[in-house]
Amino acid sequence: MKSHQISTFLSGRRMFVVANNIILVLLALSMIVPLINVLAVSFTTDFESYENTIKLFPREPSTVGYQVLFERVAIWRPFLNNTIVTVAGTLLHVFFASMAGYVLTKQRFIGKALLVLMVTIPMMIPFQMIIIPVFVMMRRLGLLDTLYALVLIDIVATFSVLLMKNYFEGIPISLAESALMDGAKEFTIFSRIYFPLAIPGIVTITIFQFVSRWNQFLPAVLFINSPQNYTLQIALRSLVVDLELTSTTQQVANNTRMAGIVVSVLPLILVYVIAQKYFIKGIMIGAIKE
Amino acid sequence: MLYLLILPAVVYFILFAYLPVVDGANISFQNYRFVGESEYVGFQNYQKVFDTAGFWRVFRNTVILGLSNVVLTAFVPMLLAMMLNEVMFSPWKRFVQTILYLPHLFSWVVVGGIWIFILAPNGGIVNSIRGLFGADPVFFLVKENLARPLYIGVNLWKQAGYVCILFLAAIAGINPELYEAAMIDGAGGFKRALYITVPELARTLKVVLLLNVMGALRIFDQIYVMRNEVVAPKVDVLMYYVYIRGLEQFDLGYAAAISVFIFLITLVITLIARRLMKYNV
Repeated sequence: MKSHQISTFLSGRRMFVVANNIILVLLALSMIVPLINVLAVSFTTDFESYENTIKLFPREPSTVGYQVLFERVAIWRPFLNNTIVTVAGTLLHVFFASMAGYVLTKQRFIGKALLVLMVTIPMMIPFQMIIIPVFVMMRRLGLLDTLYALVLIDIVATFSVLLMKNYFEGIPISLAESALMDGAKEFTIFSRIYFPLAIPGIVTITIFQFVSRWNQFLPAVLFINSPQNYTLQIALRSLVVDLELTSTTQQVANNTRMAGIVVSVLPLILVYVIAQKYFIKGIMIGAIKE
Repeated sequence: MLYLLILPAVVYFILFAYLPVVDGANISFQNYRFVGESEYVGFQNYQKVFDTAGFWRVFRNTVILGLSNVVLTAFVPMLLAMMLNEVMFSPWKRFVQTILYLPHLFSWVVVGGIWIFILAPNGGIVNSIRGLFGADPVFFLVKENLARPLYIGVNLWKQAGYVCILFLAAIAGINPELYEAAMIDGAGGFKRALYITVPELARTLKVVLLLNVMGALRIFDQIYVMRNEVVAPKVDVLMYYVYIRGLEQFDLGYAAAISVFIFLITLVITLIARRLMKYNV
């Protein structure tokens, strides 16, 4: 390569690097600026929250938005409901999915092929396509407008069962066989030997269930009616959507709306920060499942 | 004892997957009522699906929004991953990656709420920036011609970072010898990207496209949160229509018929997509 060729190559490369990073900075800003803006506005006064300035910092910091959110809007009730549904739903999901996954690792037993089919096929049936009959089912079971309905939906999922099955398969069978020989019950073998050895898989499912339960929206829209049973997403929706000009709901200022958003994403960000490496792992597994 | 462990899963799937599919098909042939007798009406509900202008309007919207989402949230994240891969300073790379992923963690109520605020005429950041140049505030969310591009853009904003991670992982798995060989042959950065990275990412691209296709007909949350009556003719989608007709107006048979119809379409599309992928990989 002649020297002038090298120098044009280098300057071309340098121009690319500069342009590339400028675009990435702009993209990162398109994420960061709105989020900081939301945080800043949540700490403004009512009046300031309507100002047309690019607000990345409150001029007169104030917690009035949060006060309205917790006192007048009483967000603590939906927050509590959300926590109940998320914790109960996630724990049961992990428990049921890993039990089912454990059973499917068993070498040979009567009806195994049928059970594998029964557990796998539901992946092809998206919830959105059966909302009418599921509503009818919930009505039949007398669970409409209860938090039970929200815990029950997605209490187990094909994806989680198969994921746990894969984790369990990595554990030597001899372990279970010798325990079985010693007269241990299946449930004991599962809970004492297999479950503790599959912790990485369990953490992955737990995190993804936590996030999807915390954000659960459509089931709450379908099944919940009374304000005392509202979950966070339902309550937040009536808070942030103010386009219905005929709406009779009490209007709140922008600071309260943004405070609502901050409060509802805080647990998610906390979990994300703590368990970031499991997120990346889970994303990869999630894409491979299809 | 062994069967007892898998019983909860089986019962759940029977009650909330298998029976609903049967029930849904059954309801779609009835003039279904919660109280009193429901009568069988044959294919009347299906007839109504094809005869109703409202249905075809939301069908069109779903296809337009869905197709745009399928294509954009595959190719843009791929480009993004290739750009990020060129970043040599890894803390900066990881920072951008983390920030881009963040909106995927949030619900549509949160993301919708953030964008409703950003685009608002009072206090919204977009109008504040326009104000710096002396422009009057615009109420973006009630502009009919802006609705679809806005919804597609916000969806991209939410999902791009997540899909980008898939592509980054795939890029990390490409054999470095391919690049070295290309370097020796004198291929520049652009050529290497075009002739090595892009073909090597084809498999991941297909998986992402398939995932996007399966999600496309199910759009609901975003529309439910961001829609308003002014832009409704442009953005109301199938699942929203099913919800309104079925559970707000209680035309359950009709809503069930639409669901069955969409379900069948989804199955066909998925099967076709899977087959196409198999033959091409």
